[in-house]
Amino acid sequence: MLSIRGLKARIGANEVLRGIDLEVNAGEVHAIMGPNGSGKSTLGKVLAGHPSYEVTEGEVLFDGKNLFELEADERARAGLFLGFQHPIEVPGVSNAQFLRLAYNKKAEADGRDELDPLEFDDFVRVKVADVKMDPAFLDRSLNEGFSGGEKKRNEILQMAVLEPRLAILDELDSGLDIDALRVLGEAVNRQMKPERALLLITHFPRLLETIHPTQVHVLSQGRIVKRGGKELAMELEERGYDWVKAEAAAAGRA
Amino acid sequence: MAVAAPASLLGDLLALPRPGHWPDLRARAEAALEGRDLPTTREEAWKYTDLKPLREFAFRPSAAPAPGAPAMLPEAPGTRIAFLNGAFAPHLSNLSALPPGVRLLRLTQATEAAQGFGTLVAPGGDPFADLNTARFTEGALLVIPAGLRVETVLHVVFCNAGTAEAPALSLPRLHVVLEKGAQATLVEEHLGTGTYLSCPVAEVVLHEGARLHHERIQRESLEAFHLASLGARLEGHAAYALRTVHLGSRLGRLVPEITLAQSEAELELDGLALLDGSQLVDTHSRIAHAVPACRTRQLYKSIVDGESRSVFNGRIHVMPGAQQTDARQQARSLLLSERARVDAKPELEIYADDVKCAHGAAIGQLDPEELFYLQSRGMTPALARNLLTYAFAADVLATIPVPSLRRQLRKAVLERTHADGLEL
Ligand SMILES: Nc1ncnc2c1ncn2[C@@H]1O[C@H](COP(=O)(O)OP(=O)(O)OP(=O)(O)O)[C@@H](O)[C@H]1O
Ligand SMILES: [Mg+2]
Repeated sequence: MLSIRGLKARIGANEVLRGIDLEVNAGEVHAIMGPNGSGKSTLGKVLAGHPSYEVTEGEVLFDGKNLFELEADERARAGLFLGFQHPIEVPGVSNAQFLRLAYNKKAEADGRDELDPLEFDDFVRVKVADVKMDPAFLDRSLNEGFSGGEKKRNEILQMAVLEPRLAILDELDSGLDIDALRVLGEAVNRQMKPERALLLITHFPRLLETIHPTQVHVLSQGRIVKRGGKELAMELEERGYDWVKAEAAAAGRA
Repeated sequence: MAVAAPASLLGDLLALPRPGHWPDLRARAEAALEGRDLPTTREEAWKYTDLKPLREFAFRPSAAPAPGAPAMLPEAPGTRIAFLNGAFAPHLSNLSALPPGVRLLRLTQATEAAQGFGTLVAPGGDPFADLNTARFTEGALLVIPAGLRVETVLHVVFCNAGTAEAPALSLPRLHVVLEKGAQATLVEEHLGTGTYLSCPVAEVVLHEGARLHHERIQRESLEAFHLASLGARLEGHAAYALRTVHLGSRLGRLVPEITLAQSEAELELDGLALLDGSQLVDTHSRIAHAVPACRTRQLYKSIVDGESRSVFNGRIHVMPGAQQTDARQQARSLLLSERARVDAKPELEIYADDVKCAHGAAIGQLDPEELFYLQSRGMTPALARNLLTYAFAADVLATIPVPSLRRQLRKAVLERTHADGLEL
């Protein structure tokens, strides 16, 4: 579904991604871990089409098509979703208005029927219950004054409404309490279908206890320096990143 | 086309016969106007607001036919008083359902004295306010007696109509008194069709503990001039929430002058100007903290597109001895076109030392991170821009306590920002 080959990208003069290779097939869950500043969020934003990043080398195919030929909104309508590490507040637009507009843009692109406010209300209430959100949040301005955890819950609500084929969730777990993490992890699991895939950016193995990864990748200084199974996440939890960096440096010298 | 330019607009209008009532007050306004010509951009208060276009028209009072009836507010059934070019319009008014005790009536028919009349917008200040004081013929008086909490919304509508051949003059007048502990919600609307000059004056007196929500909606015709003054005085523990919304007029100006005269008074002043084409809207607010322990929150937002221009000058004057003043002012503008222009100037004058005061002015374009967030949810760049523009404005409307008015204004903003698909 997603093939990343030799991807390099920079912001300003800072080369943040320095050659990434990653294959994601339908039905798979890939976890990306790595120290602060290693380029995890950058990878997510480059894939989603953030205009501040410049792709300098490599290619990304999404369903065999060149992802970089699509604008950010076209990628979204093609089924790519980025759950933000820091979701943006938009005072003045209610959550419900925003969700319906986003849903209808996607529906239009997919050739499905758009929903009017009443129909959408029925549709979204099921999703709201699925992520165990208080429906009162629908009438509030989008993310305005939401706590860190509430924003993350709202991202998963958006994902549930948009049903993307490929979701990139950037630190879903940061800001969530233990119960919320389980609830949202399970909500994400319920959404997983054989034709859908997940890229999970995380610092903690706890999330991977709920959402089981097909593979774990460690990003360091813009490169994937180690890959493994779920047990790699546990090992990182115990030992930190230094040994992975040392291994990578040794391999680089060899 | 326009009639031959008058030699002196103010002088010509002052030559109109002096109406009855308040002869002393009118004489003082006349004296203040004596020999005065239109202000020019050389005067500090008019630096950014050029009145030259006014000189193209010979505005005269006129009894124009009623334009289409303005929208009724379902929240104000039978509590509406309306005026046409400043004269009472019985066919547009309906006062059949005034709650017991509430006085909403024509100024010239009031048997009670209008407390503070002519003192809050006093002669010798703004020349257009003086013109109003010297020559207004009718107006609305609203009095809420002590302790009465009025749930029903009270609606005062000033309709205007004129043409380029016969440009009209309108001098709307509004006087509001909330006695001790009274509470009310007032919607003041200005609207019209064609070419005219409206110079409204509103005065608001809030006695101890009174609370007033005042929604002031300006949607005059785009050929109209709207040069308004508003004076208010707050006594102890009074709370005044004033929201001014400017959607109309080719040239609009509002000078709110508000005095927090006794301690623990609270002022919330929200403003929105949504401008396009060659519109200019100028808000000159003057807020005086005369005594200790009062609070002001002011937010002024403008969206300027086309070649339009937004002028904001907000003075907060903390007088000597007004300790524990807590005053915050924010002016934010969104520039949507390279030819549009914003002049924003906050002026904090503080003559007390134990105060919390802050102000900020921000002029900007849309935030690229916000745009990206919306695009990442499938919205085209154009839709994302429109949506954020809508949101910037709608934010100011969110707290309007009159649902139908809130919907009306959101819809107007939606249309102006083309944020289609965002049905309410
Ligand atoms: N506008 C910018 N200009 C220069 N450098 C930037 C800019 N934005 C990000 N970077 C740098 O890019 C690097 C990668 O940042 P990124 O946000 O992708 O890290 P991350 O792996 O997600 O870290 P974290 O775990 O803290 O979320 C960092 O060193 C960061 O400082
Ligand atoms: Mg990050």
